[in-house]
Amino acid sequence: MDAEAQESFREFVANRSSALLKTAVLLSGGDRHAGEDLLQTALIKAAGRWHRIDEPEAYVRRILYRQQISRWRLKRRGRELSVAEPPEPGTGGDSASADAELRLVMRGALARLTARQRTTLVLRYFEDLPEAEVARILGCSVGTVRSTTHRSLARLRALAPELRSLRASEAERRPSGDYPPVEVRS
Amino acid sequence: MNVDELVRDALREQAAELTAPGPGFADRVLAVRRRRRARGLVVGAAALAAVVAVAVGAVLPDTGKEDVRPASVLDGSGVLAHPDQSPPRELIAAGRSVLAAYYTAEPVARSADEAVLSRTYRLLDPETGMYEEDDRWSFVAVAPGARTAAVLERTLPARRIGVLDLATGRIDRWIGVDRAVGGLAWSPDGDRLVATTYGGHPDLLERMKSATGASGWGPPSRTGPTRSGFYVLDVADGRGDWSPVTAGQDIGGRQDFAFSRDGRLVYAQFIGGKDGLQRFHDLDGKTVPAPANEHFLRSDVPARLSPDGKLAALGLTAEAKDTSWSEIRDPSTGKEVARVRGAQLLAWADDRRLIAWERAPGPGEYRPRLVLVTIGSEKVVPLSGVREPDGVFETMEWEPVFVERRG
Repeated sequence: MDAEAQESFREFVANRSSALLKTAVLLSGGDRHAGEDLLQTALIKAAGRWHRIDEPEAYVRRILYRQQISRWRLKRRGRELSVAEPPEPGTGGDSASADAELRLVMRGALARLTARQRTTLVLRYFEDLPEAEVARILGCSVGTVRSTTHRSLARLRALAPELRSLRASEAERRPSGDYPPVEVRS
Repeated sequence: MNVDELVRDALREQAAELTAPGPGFADRVLAVRRRRRARGLVVGAAALAAVVAVAVGAVLPDTGKEDVRPASVLDGSGVLAHPDQSPPRELIAAGRSVLAAYYTAEPVARSADEAVLSRTYRLLDPETGMYEEDDRWSFVAVAPGARTAAVLERTLPARRIGVLDLATGRIDRWIGVDRAVGGLAWSPDGDRLVATTYGGHPDLLERMKSATGASGWGPPSRTGPTRSGFYVLDVADGRGDWSPVTAGQDIGGRQDFAFSRDGRLVYAQFIGGKDGLQRFHDLDGKTVPAPANEHFLRSDVPARLSPDGKLAALGLTAEAKDTSWSEIRDPSTGKEVARVRGAQLLAWADDRRLIAWERAPGPGEYRPRLVLVTIGSEKVVPLSGVREPDGVFETMEWEPVFVERRG
């Protein structure tokens, strides 16, 4: 990596690392340390190919998404990320504070999903990407994205009883087995 | 509130609370990268020293390997198509087959009268699912599973074979050889390599001049084939034996050996009265009859036998406007059992579907694209964009390398 490439790399990191770190931490279930590790590994890989990358942000994001899933695959399935326990929801209070408590409960539940489930939800609901784009990024079919989303939302409800009172979303109402295993994107 | 609305709100709230990485984050990343590279270089130097010391079979652990070994893009069996991409930029796969690499080739002059047809490979990065140029290698054979490749460095024929980790882009180990190698192919189980040995560069070209004085590069006429035999090498320990095969005049400059379906024999193409002829040898190099199930195959149709072994992919048999059909035969009798769309059958997606080159609709010359075809159906699913001819005789537009996808 020559001096010019290093300068361009530093500029990219200075401008984009804040946004990229948000994604990396969310992918890591809210664990900032794990998120920084994830982003660092992705940036190291990007630095090695800096002069050949046309769209650095797209490249780094793609590595983040896939690496997070792969890293999880290396670990034992049962091992969960260490996150602070969310506070118990209060019994009274106004609706704003009740919503805030629900969001905290949701954070705790998201941290306990598998990496693949959490990555799918981050791509769909934080990055707001359409299903076809999520499938492209993760290298799977649209049907797999749909069924993973469905199962992930169901798992969130199972993890946190407080969420059971929420209305079912459209993604949850779809039966997960209705999608063909083969999806051709045009 | 829906559960997905709450997911969205919770993620956004959490993201909003996060502060940016501290100053100097880029420098920290670059420093870690330098340390990892230094560690990798030490391993590389040790590997080179071991190759010098040991004639065949230098095996070293790779202590510089990345922590992460991604696998996700190679899982599954769905169809991943990019009909807008030629050459491909993103993963193409169907069923059990994945486009693990592709290469282009062009003549590189060595003197006024001599050139070599030099390949440039783009290899699938299993982390990103993207094809990335890797100009270190003159020849790449990707192992079943698409996580490892055997490579030869730029100067051919080569005295050592690299075992490349496709996830990290690093050489795990080098296998040194006494006789120089020009081509490689994996055994079906991914445990062994057949390495074809040559006395000279297998892709040599000579300057040719036409009657009108125009010049170009063509196959060598002054020098004959230099193929001398093959190694069969165990990839795990680098050990193996070399077997001589006398080169007759009925082979071209590059005529690499490949394993038979059961891995007990090797075969290579030879030139005769029709295209796609193949000659089999046992692992001592002795010429032997073709195995019964490969007797009717053609060396120029890469798909060969279906996964269950019940069907054989043969060559182009019929053409109409914008449409081609290839033959499917019963491998035991050689009888045609079906005609399937496609001009050249490249790989089996499963026991009924194949990946093929097929001509794109439209007037003019043959403009192929990768497609998925099904036996018993005229349906053609485009997998890649159209490979437009570049109009230069000596160059090769992108050539696909398919291997078996293993989860």
